Amino acid sequence: MLKITNFSKCYQKGVKAVDNLSLEVKSGDIFGFIGHNGAGKTTTLKAVAGILDFDEGDIEIDKISIKKDPVACKQRMAYIPDNPDLYEHLTGIAYLNFIGDIYQVSKAERTELIKEYAGAFELTSNLGDVIGSYSHGMKQKLAIISALIHKPKLLILDEPFVGLDPKAAYTLKTIMARVCSEGRAIFFSTHVLEVAQKLCNKIAIIKKGRLVANGSTAEVIGDSSLEEVFLELIEEKQS
Amino acid sequence: MKKILRMLSVQLWAALSDLLVIGKTDKRKPVYIYTGVLVFIIAMSAVSYSYSYMLGTGLKMLGSLELLPAIMFTAACLATLITTIFKVKGTVFGFRDYDLIMSLPVSTASVIACRLLILYSFNFMFTFISMFPMMIVYGILANPGTGFYIMSLLLMLFAPLIPLVFASVIGTFIAYLASKFRHNNLLNIIFSISIIFLFVGMQFAFAGENEKLANFSRLITQQLYRLYPPARLYSKAVTDGDWICCLLFIALSIAAFVFYTYVVKLLFKKINTLLMTARARSDFKLGELKTASPIKALYIRELKRYFSSSIYVLNTAFGIVILTVMSVAGLFVDLDAIFGGEQNLNLLKDYLALCLVFFIMLSCTTMASISLEGKSLWIIKSLPVAPMTVFYSKIAVNLTICLPALLDVILLGIIFGLSAGRIVLLLLMAAAASLLIAMYGLLINLILPNFSWTSPVVVIKQSASTMVTVFSGLAFVVVYFLFASLMPSELLTNIGYLLFLTVADFILYILLKSYGIKKYNAL
Repeated sequence: MLKITNFSKCYQKGVKAVDNLSLEVKSGDIFGFIGHNGAGKTTTLKAVAGILDFDEGDIEIDKISIKKDPVACKQRMAYIPDNPDLYEHLTGIAYLNFIGDIYQVSKAERTELIKEYAGAFELTSNLGDVIGSYSHGMKQKLAIISALIHKPKLLILDEPFVGLDPKAAYTLKTIMARVCSEGRAIFFSTHVLEVAQKLCNKIAIIKKGRLVANGSTAEVIGDSSLEEVFLELIEEKQS
Repeated sequence: MKKILRMLSVQLWAALSDLLVIGKTDKRKPVYIYTGVLVFIIAMSAVSYSYSYMLGTGLKMLGSLELLPAIMFTAACLATLITTIFKVKGTVFGFRDYDLIMSLPVSTASVIACRLLILYSFNFMFTFISMFPMMIVYGILANPGTGFYIMSLLLMLFAPLIPLVFASVIGTFIAYLASKFRHNNLLNIIFSISIIFLFVGMQFAFAGENEKLANFSRLITQQLYRLYPPARLYSKAVTDGDWICCLLFIALSIAAFVFYTYVVKLLFKKINTLLMTARARSDFKLGELKTASPIKALYIRELKRYFSSSIYVLNTAFGIVILTVMSVAGLFVDLDAIFGGEQNLNLLKDYLALCLVFFIMLSCTTMASISLEGKSLWIIKSLPVAPMTVFYSKIAVNLTICLPALLDVILLGIIFGLSAGRIVLLLLMAAAASLLIAMYGLLINLILPNFSWTSPVVVIKQSASTMVTVFSGLAFVVVYFLFASLMPSELLTNIGYLLFLTVADFILYILLKSYGIKKYNAL
């Protein structure tokens, strides 16, 4: 589903934000991407989403290179950033319709999915209001709904649980599990290690732009907890 | 006082940093910005000087030259009043760092004073640019003593205060009323365009008639002294050297400022809460949804963004609005009288294409359209749409705004009795020019984007992209004169210029498809 090969990203003055990263997300995977602040998680996710240009390595979605055919790759995935700045002047429903139009979702299908997901996140009654009137959590919910209504094969989520109330967070976890049981995949970053440990079947830990752990959750954490493994790996590198 | 000055310095610096590109890594931008600002100051000063000289000459003929300072002072106050009304929301009320500022251990009165002083700082620059040339003109025509210059410079410091206070009161009232309406931006746009109509209409009424304008000004000034006593105080201070009037004017200005600060203090939090709490009805029920193609969806999104900002509309549709007003007005007024005879009218007829293209070049929406994506840029960049599709949607909005130019050509054809062939030629030129400025503005914005703005006003009015597009875009107009000097007839000039516009369109299209996409991908 997603194959990242030797991906590196340099910003100014040759500083590498991500260095020679390779990993693979297969159909049915809920892949957790964990790291400290500034480790390179968002850079990686943005490169996968086709938002960030990069020079070294390649990223393939469904065996299509994002460099060679970015539109075809984007058609197969959905991206939600950690702080979704949406179009404040549009209403919620106008924004969902806009996304539906871009992905060419049929009228019947988008109506059904908006009804389902807006209902699940208890956002239906607010869809007629301008996004500028939404709280952070409501914007997050709207962004999630917009990502789901076109049934992407791959979901790229950057800290999706931030700002969600407990019920919405539970709803999202349920949806994530269901999406992957349908043969799709999720690649997401989070700071909430308990969620990652419970939800993910695969985990990668990134430290200063380099992968320090990558594999199935059981392989990565062994007999400890993810928190212990994470702290150990981070301290190891620091010392 | 110390806290007010400290806050003012920080907030003014923040407001200026975007304009002057301070702290940004791209070293090219400051050159464009500073050049743009300098050109703007020179152009405004030239306009003020010309207007003052025209008016002063007429007043001198009538033996009323002493009214010139009062009239220009009032004009500057009126300009301050009108331009400030729509800045109140966003500067005095509903400003972005409201939460942060109000959580500091600073009195509400200090916060209000600070916000007003930010407005004052920008208005003072404008007042100085418009009144300093008047001072020079009066000096040339009246040859006053040193006292005139001292008084003028001193009172210039206090001139913006009273109109500022009035504008704040009106602006608050409008913002409060508008917040009650769903389509509050429409209200702002209609109100502002009405002001433009009024202003252009007055120009038509007095164009070329210095004496008529001077007589009218004399009459208005008498009314003005009754309605706006500070104007009389100002006039007596600068023309008669009356120190009592000078001190009274200063005292009045400061008193108005302080009084407003303490009155608004009582309502400041309430008004801000009202303005910053967007109306949410929370009663939506899912019904029939409409679908559209991706390009149409992008176009509608772009159009909605355009009309969601009154500043965006007013700043970019200005040229087309003026052209349309003048074209429509031309059907009803006596053009011979306005332009001073048939000879002048024929000259205008020969340069119709130039005028048409000039106003179209002032109507560019794309010069800020990339920057206005702001922090939402991730949305279009993550969507399965090719960069050119995004570009087409932005260009389409610009072309939509320029559509009235085609109607204006028909109207001008009727007014000037143009042949069908000439009208077709002008229509093609209007289309080519509209496409040119749309693509040119877009390309410039791709080269000079600004996504770190805190207020859209910064990218719409003050960004590098806007300044470069507006001032360099006029070079396309100047090229007309090159054709006019080379070609033997007006028809060949226009055909040659049309070919130039078409070739320029083609080159810009190629640049967008290659360089433009590269810049977009790197955003």
